[in-house]
Amino acid sequence: MTERVFSACAMADEAQLRALFLKGLNGDAVAHRSFLMESAALLRAYYRNRLRGAPEDAEDLVQETLVALHTRRDSYDPAYPLTSWIYAIAKYRLIDFLRRKKRRGPHDSIDDVELGGLSPDYAASDAKHDIGALLARLPTKQRDAIRLVKLEEKSVREAADITGFSESDIKISIHRGLKALMRLMAEEGAT
Amino acid sequence: MKTEDLIDLLARDVPPAERPQWRRRLALTLLVGFAIALILTALSIGLRPDIGVALGPVLLKAGFSALGAAVALPLAARLMRPGRALGWRVAAVLIFFGVCALAAAIALIGMAPEKRLAMWLGGGFPWCLVLIPIFATPTAIGLVWLVRGLAPTRLTLSGAAIGAVSGSIGALAYSMHCPIDSVPFVATWYAAAIALCAAIGAVLGSRLLRW
Repeated sequence: MTERVFSACAMADEAQLRALFLKGLNGDAVAHRSFLMESAALLRAYYRNRLRGAPEDAEDLVQETLVALHTRRDSYDPAYPLTSWIYAIAKYRLIDFLRRKKRRGPHDSIDDVELGGLSPDYAASDAKHDIGALLARLPTKQRDAIRLVKLEEKSVREAADITGFSESDIKISIHRGLKALMRLMAEEGAT
Repeated sequence: MKTEDLIDLLARDVPPAERPQWRRRLALTLLVGFAIALILTALSIGLRPDIGVALGPVLLKAGFSALGAAVALPLAARLMRPGRALGWRVAAVLIFFGVCALAAAIALIGMAPEKRLAMWLGGGFPWCLVLIPIFATPTAIGLVWLVRGLAPTRLTLSGAAIGAVSGSIGALAYSMHCPIDSVPFVATWYAAAIALCAAIGAVLGSRLLRW
């Protein structure tokens, strides 16, 4: 089931990526960061290849999918290859994106999106998302939890003290907030 | 925003992932869905008055419904999490419906021609076509809620599988009321009601399961 994207230039192999991911599941933030970095490279290649001529859309999708991989990481079944899981989610986000795009009107048809020159540059370009603006659209509790822990680098404990919520409340708010953030990114990405 | 900044944000303060007990939650959802459907059946159309005497046929119909759930559940469960091969699971559901059609046909052929229509329709409109989907709804709501928390990537198929499981649970509850015990009736209309639930699930899936 694994979708081979660039077999010629394998960016990170299954075993390596899986090791990082599993460490991340156990709370190793450094490994989780490396996993996301490696995944970003895979996703960039995947989306650039399918959305030729629209590198910004591709980068939007890379970001959206990274949030999806992060917030849905408990949906991975360790009995299967991690790359199957990553590409299944990547493909789903792409199909969802194209459907949204199609619904917006005839000018943004799938054909327009797919045509265009192949971009040989696989470095990250900026996505259009402005996280600050998207965060402002989240419910206050989720927004504050993400802002304090994820942007202002406070610990969950400190965030709990500042807001008056419990630590598990903060963790749940971050999780729900990030899921909601992905949906907002998706909505915005198709405009 | 730069992708690297987003990654920094995501990877900051990563708690160990919880290992949610999906199997347990799935079993609980089915159990609660069935309990609600049974209560709905008892309160609306009532349990079969001769349920003690007609225990054999009741158990047979309940068993048939449970078999439907057992056949569709592996597919529904498999589709809950991304990137896993479906294997035999789609075929199992199709074979179930195929065997139902075959059983109904064989039973009808073996009957006297003048009795066939009455045995097939159960002497009127087969109301289970309407009632089973209604009693399937509590289970369907629970399953949609459960699956949305994971990461379904094949929404139409996932919706159909959820529909088939829910329909079977609805049929299980309905079998405690259903007064008609003819084999061609059950093999046709119970299966048709479950298939109808699967079709409704397939249509609604891409909307309800989107994430």
